[in-house]
Amino acid sequence: MEPSFDDVWAECEDLFAQAREQLTTLKTPQPAHVIQASVNALFRTTHTLKGMAGMLGFPRFSQAAHRMEDIFDLMRQGRLRSTDSLIETLESGIQALESGLAGLRRGQPEPDDYLHALRRRLGELEALARPPEGAVLDLTSLLDLPPDVLKALSEYERTRVTAVLLAGIPIHGIRVRLDLRTFDERLRALSEAAGAQGELISTLPLEAPEDQEELCFLLLIAAQVLEIQGLGALPGEGLEVLELADPERIPASLRSEPIALSAPAPATEAPQPSLPAGVASQDVEVLRLPAQRVEELEARLMAVAQVRDSASQVLRQLQGAGGDRPLVMMGEMETGLLEVQKSLLQMRMVKVESLFRRIEPMVKALSRDMGKPVRLSFQGGDLELERSLLGRLTDPFLHLVRNALDHGLEGSSERLAQGKAETGSLKISASQRGRNLRFDIRDDGRGFDLARIEARGIAMGLLKAGQAHSSEDLHRLTLEPGFSTQERASQISGRGVGMDVVRSEVEGMGGEIQISSELNRGSLVRLSLPLSRAVVGCLKVRCGHQDFGIPLSHVLRIQASPAGLTGGSRVEVLGEDLPMESLQACLGLPEPAGGQRLLVVLRQQGATVNASLEIALGVDEVVGRADLLLRSLPELAHAPGIMGGSLQEQGILWVLDPEAVMGLAMDSLMRRVAGV
Amino acid sequence: MSETLLLLHARAAGREILLPVSDLREVVASTAVTPLPGGPPGIQGVVLHQGEFLPVLDWTAIQGCPARLEPTVAIAVLRPRLGLPLEGLTGTVAAPVEGWLDSVEGDPWGPILAGLCRIGDRDLHLLDPDRLLAMLHRLRKGR
Repeated sequence: MEPSFDDVWAECEDLFAQAREQLTTLKTPQPAHVIQASVNALFRTTHTLKGMAGMLGFPRFSQAAHRMEDIFDLMRQGRLRSTDSLIETLESGIQALESGLAGLRRGQPEPDDYLHALRRRLGELEALARPPEGAVLDLTSLLDLPPDVLKALSEYERTRVTAVLLAGIPIHGIRVRLDLRTFDERLRALSEAAGAQGELISTLPLEAPEDQEELCFLLLIAAQVLEIQGLGALPGEGLEVLELADPERIPASLRSEPIALSAPAPATEAPQPSLPAGVASQDVEVLRLPAQRVEELEARLMAVAQVRDSASQVLRQLQGAGGDRPLVMMGEMETGLLEVQKSLLQMRMVKVESLFRRIEPMVKALSRDMGKPVRLSFQGGDLELERSLLGRLTDPFLHLVRNALDHGLEGSSERLAQGKAETGSLKISASQRGRNLRFDIRDDGRGFDLARIEARGIAMGLLKAGQAHSSEDLHRLTLEPGFSTQERASQISGRGVGMDVVRSEVEGMGGEIQISSELNRGSLVRLSLPLSRAVVGCLKVRCGHQDFGIPLSHVLRIQASPAGLTGGSRVEVLGEDLPMESLQACLGLPEPAGGQRLLVVLRQQGATVNASLEIALGVDEVVGRADLLLRSLPELAHAPGIMGGSLQEQGILWVLDPEAVMGLAMDSLMRRVAGV
Repeated sequence: MSETLLLLHARAAGREILLPVSDLREVVASTAVTPLPGGPPGIQGVVLHQGEFLPVLDWTAIQGCPARLEPTVAIAVLRPRLGLPLEGLTGTVAAPVEGWLDSVEGDPWGPILAGLCRIGDRDLHLLDPDRLLAMLHRLRKGR
């Protein structure tokens, strides 16, 4: 790949991310001007993609992007009605372009038609579009403006005037006089303020008096109500609001055939000052920087933190010389530094939801194409993962979802015959487990046919006949290169390439993949991916002379014991009799002679009350709670029970992996019972 | 035209050693190593290096290491992100074309050496970072 194209690829990725956001906006009820803004943004996005593809030398991609651009153009002119089916088709189209781009980036040749699967539906959409001509559909004459001003409206603006009026939204005019020296800045401010209240259809220059250094403008705004106070006009600008067109004046016959993009906002639903995310993102400046720069900044910040720690220690030694003030100032610095570190971390992170957003349209499209109704659910979208992982995860996820629909879930009749619900279930959940982000992709389909996998494995020479093969081994076999039980590839999956690619991609990120299934009950594919950095809310405890952090997500309770307890004791916690183990024993450190009086009760994350592992962990001291910037340990230094470290004033503080510590505690307790 | 191989001449675990400069990220002044409870064998703990945790080798995990080690003055940071504590630094030397020997049979360091190199009148141990890492993995597996 040409290194100089890196920026272009990255920009394309951003454009797709924006397109997905805009499409999400279109799927939910929104005021008409928000819908219009989203459609406009999608039109611009596909237009830009078309140009970029041309620049990169991919003419067929460019043609496909052009096709999508045409559809968005019809929508923005109000010639295509926004329906669920239309949005679904557009999502599929954007998805097809995005997958196509990923393929091109991997060096795959261009397909004949990126939108082949959608060709028929796109054609139908274009046929449904209303013709642009026709006096009946041009309602600009309803605007109370001089003919020469009306002539200045572009074709697009005329169609918007028509569309909003048919949608029952009045059109207002804002006439304003602006100082020649600052008019551009003021016009922008006024346009933004007006755009926040409705759809800004046009900005028209008006004739200004010759003897004054001013320019006059007329802004056309479609809004149910326009509040003059919210426009932020300055004294001397002579701002005036005009009622240019009233939808009530439209003939009843036309009003019965609305061609608006969405239902008009109810009168009570005045546009909010803060626009929805999809719209606001157009106004937010996005900086694209090489990740290395952020890494360098983080490293420098870490060096500053080290200096701060040394200074803090010196200050403690000199305590008293300047009162408490220097120490208080150090504390403020520490808080500030952690905030900066958190902000830097957030720059690298993105919500898991954005991954889910990529999957949803594909599942819907596959469900429809394959005739298999699916109930799709997501969980854990609020968790965050590193942006770099997101890009790498999309393709493996899409493949796994395709597999689940193609091979896992049965058709309706088969499900009914088996006594299952007619609609299949596909659940995708994310959860943080220690230093890992875990994704579960669970379906309630037919599960893996292990007998068939075994037979195929033997036939391919991957397994030996006559030997017993565990369920785990057989599931794992499906991740081997070239393995497939399909004699012939289906159009969706089953080509025998993919699962091994999924595995290598996941392992390339330092992660793991596990598969399990039960015949006719369903399958679970579990991906565990290590996070290199995270901010974790922790309980700080002390054992021996060392501090440790225990993630609060797993801390059920802190309890004091009247007498010192040693590992292997039993303690009563909230009426439950729980085993107790010393943290030192879990980590291979010497246990305190007199036992421990403080207990931290841990519970497995996500476990239910009825089926959970709880254990009381003995510690010497509870120091307090803190948000810790966690850094993972390199593979060479992996230690059981420790998920990473955080730089603190006193040095490195180890953050415990609660699930692993619970495992270590159980091992230690069993050794005690066995007397070894 | 052949390129000259540059070697770092240092002292570690009581031995005169050589390390290919091409295998090094840098050599940094020694800082206190934070022990890692329950850490893998062969790793004494970590130090902070360029904002990341750097595992530091524990020479005592290698057979033939003296029971008592001299204080560390510097840490050689290998490319695969492993710190080697050094007791002294002599400088760099160009690898000689001749004078290479196999490591002495029975030397407990044999599995981590690429060979011996005669510089002046002394035979110096050329450390092989790949073999060293392989040894660490073996230690961890055998835990």
